[in-house]
Amino acid sequence: MDTQTTLQTASDLLKPWALEFKTPEADRVDVYIESANLIPAVQALLDHHWGYLSAITGLDVPPTADHEGAVEVLYHFCQDAAITTLRLKVPYSNASVPSVCSLIPSVTLYERELMEMYGVEVLGTPNTDRLLLPDDWPKGVYPMRKSFTGLDQLTEEK
Amino acid sequence: MEKSEPKKFVVPIGPQHPALKEPGHFEFEVDGEIVTGATARFGYVHRGIEKGAETRSWIQAMYLLERVCGICSHVHATAFALGAEKLAKVTVPPRAQAIRVLVGELERLHSHMLWLGVAVHEAGFDTLFMYSWRDREIVMDLLEGLTGNRVNYSANVLGGVKIDVDDKQRDDILKGLEVLEQRAQYYLKVVTTDETFLGRTRGIGTMTYEQAELLGAVGPTGRASGVKRDVRVEAPYAAYPDFPVNLITDTRGDLEARFVVRIKELFEAIRIIREILDKMPTGEIQTKMPRRVPEGETISRVEAPRGELLYYIRSAGGDKPDRVKVRTPSLCNWGSVLTTAVGHKLADMPMILSGIDPCFSCNDRAAIIRRPDQPAQAWDWESLRLHGIEYYKR
Amino acid sequence: MNTLFALIALMIFPGGLFVLFAGLVYEWADRKLVAQFQNRIGPRVFQPLADVIKLLAKEEVVPVGVNGFLFMALPIAALAATLTAALYVPVVGLAPAYSFRGDLIVTIYLLSVLTLCIGVAGANTADRFSLIGATRTLTQVFSYEAPFMLAMLGPAIMAGSWQISEINAYAASKPWLIIPQVIGFLVALVGLMGKLELPPFDAPEAETEIVAGAMTEYSGRGYAIFRIAKDVELVIGLTLVAAFYLGGIGNPLEFLLKTVVLLLVTAGLQSLFARLRIDQTVGMWWRVGALLALLNLLVLVGLRMLGWLGVWL
Repeated sequence: MDTQTTLQTASDLLKPWALEFKTPEADRVDVYIESANLIPAVQALLDHHWGYLSAITGLDVPPTADHEGAVEVLYHFCQDAAITTLRLKVPYSNASVPSVCSLIPSVTLYERELMEMYGVEVLGTPNTDRLLLPDDWPKGVYPMRKSFTGLDQLTEEK
Repeated sequence: MEKSEPKKFVVPIGPQHPALKEPGHFEFEVDGEIVTGATARFGYVHRGIEKGAETRSWIQAMYLLERVCGICSHVHATAFALGAEKLAKVTVPPRAQAIRVLVGELERLHSHMLWLGVAVHEAGFDTLFMYSWRDREIVMDLLEGLTGNRVNYSANVLGGVKIDVDDKQRDDILKGLEVLEQRAQYYLKVVTTDETFLGRTRGIGTMTYEQAELLGAVGPTGRASGVKRDVRVEAPYAAYPDFPVNLITDTRGDLEARFVVRIKELFEAIRIIREILDKMPTGEIQTKMPRRVPEGETISRVEAPRGELLYYIRSAGGDKPDRVKVRTPSLCNWGSVLTTAVGHKLADMPMILSGIDPCFSCNDRAAIIRRPDQPAQAWDWESLRLHGIEYYKR
Repeated sequence: MNTLFALIALMIFPGGLFVLFAGLVYEWADRKLVAQFQNRIGPRVFQPLADVIKLLAKEEVVPVGVNGFLFMALPIAALAATLTAALYVPVVGLAPAYSFRGDLIVTIYLLSVLTLCIGVAGANTADRFSLIGATRTLTQVFSYEAPFMLAMLGPAIMAGSWQISEINAYAASKPWLIIPQVIGFLVALVGLMGKLELPPFDAPEAETEIVAGAMTEYSGRGYAIFRIAKDVELVIGLTLVAAFYLGGIGNPLEFLLKTVVLLLVTAGLQSLFARLRIDQTVGMWWRVGALLALLNLLVLVGLRMLGWLGVWL
């Protein structure tokens, strides 16, 4: 199977939930979905043994004058040379995505990182303790958001 | 009979422990010698590299990212450079790509031999540890002769490579490979025939194909369980389309298989290096790379010595990357450790830990705590006991 | 005069100071040989002494949760036992300082005291590594002690005596006992390695798992004393095996040659194998070691009763 057919298979599988398809590069397809549809979409890929979840990337979209800030969450699935990315965007005010831990146990690693670094709540993930940041790290400060420029500024502002 | 839950006896390993060369913390719940639970915590050397990369220029970021890991530094720079070049639509001359692969494969030799030493040391087999580290000096000398550095080679620049290979370096490498090939054959013989060593590796830490697939194991760890996954084969990058790699897998999935797969990869790396030196493309080694990279995003995957390394790079069109996401192979393989640990002897833990060739500094660009929530953890006391009895029968 | 002799024998030679230094020299030789086998340079000759002096000068940390008296007394008891054992064996090829009927059994028991002390010392602390190390140490005692004892009894039965000096004299007057009793020799030598927790029997102090095992909480003086005790035991063990199996020890040169040859063999074995897990150690000793030693002994007893021992009668 060449990369194009592999990507086509993925697109077909994800069609029911897709808001939009994009092919940023020849070997990739980006599928925009609602966060509520994440579980069935991942399930569909898994059921057909389409690749494996390679990484979860968080992207910060800072607020502008006319829209609220948001975090984009990218789930990268790799199969041979083909990469399918499920993209969902959650606003700061309701920053939560469902956990896919029940489907892929090892993903808890990536979800923890996402929670800690971007302040995206992962609903139903088994452990929500303070994970990677020091114990005295202030609450509600997410270092990978663009607004974070260092703890020094933070204390000065106060 | 009513069974009372036995009191948990926890053996902490780390953050400072003789078995760990890097800080990580593991807690093994043991019942006698049998491990009944495993948890891990990392993050002791978190450096915020991903955030740091956002505030540096593309060139600076490459040097920063090369320092994610001390052992597999070249692949990080390569992954980033390949991604940035893709975004900037720069075509790198074939000679530069070949040199990238050359350094990458030398680095694989170096990394696998380092791992071999560490892993056999965990088994208390210090003689082989000393031998493999002595022989690793050869490949480190070769890298130093080629790039000027023993680690963190800085061979890459955006748009090509910094170093060229002349005839003398070529001859040195070929000479060094002769020795290394013999040594690798010797290692293979030892790890597959030494009785005491086999007693520590055969059938230990076994991960089935299904488990490996589910847990997303990558690299030699996955390949030892029969997962046919190698970016160099699936999606050849740099000069790999011209110098194809043979996939090396094993089906047993135990520690012995991981040893065998990695040592066989030494031979494969030696073969590739020879082929590259033989058919080295001629021409330039650099091309001009713009300071500002056009807006866009890309995913760059390369095969690090430990497995698939994934970079997600996004540019907002400026002279700095907008987002660099690094997913290192060690991160994928932790699941396999904590799952396969349960039910084994405490004495096997260091071996199982090192079996995946863990790289703490790789993990710690982003740190994680996790508990093994895999099915194995859901074992109740009774089934665990039965497993223990079953284990001892053998 | 008699008291003076006893004091000298106890404090200076052949017990006391002399075996302490001999122990350090043998530790150095052992480390150096293993290093050479592993293609390393190894320590300099003063290294063991320097280690001990440094440790003696260091602060002794008594951890919380231990019985302080036991913590201090156990290393001393261990050293005392091994030093006492030195009085009954022909160190340097001279006649043992003290000798009586049945001193072989006493010596073997005294040699076990060290291991027991280490085990109890580990169990005394609240540290998990120590506790696991202690469990392993004591488990290992049960596995090699019986075969080692059986292997030591072989020459005793052939000589018809339980007295070390008599067995030594017997072994010196006959062809080397290693010839009829290869199995006994091997079991004794490997058993000695088990006693000293040398690789591959170093599971009780496997650094990659349990740091230093039972010794983890020891620092300074206590640790130094345990180390010296182990070194002394190495000398005594090598002397015993050489005296019994390698044709007795009659003079200093013989002592030096024979023990160094044995040390060479043990160093080789140390660098040849991967560490055995504790279950593998126990399994190996009971399935192989004990059976072989027993078989060896039974054959000997049978031969002796039938009077077929030939030149060795």
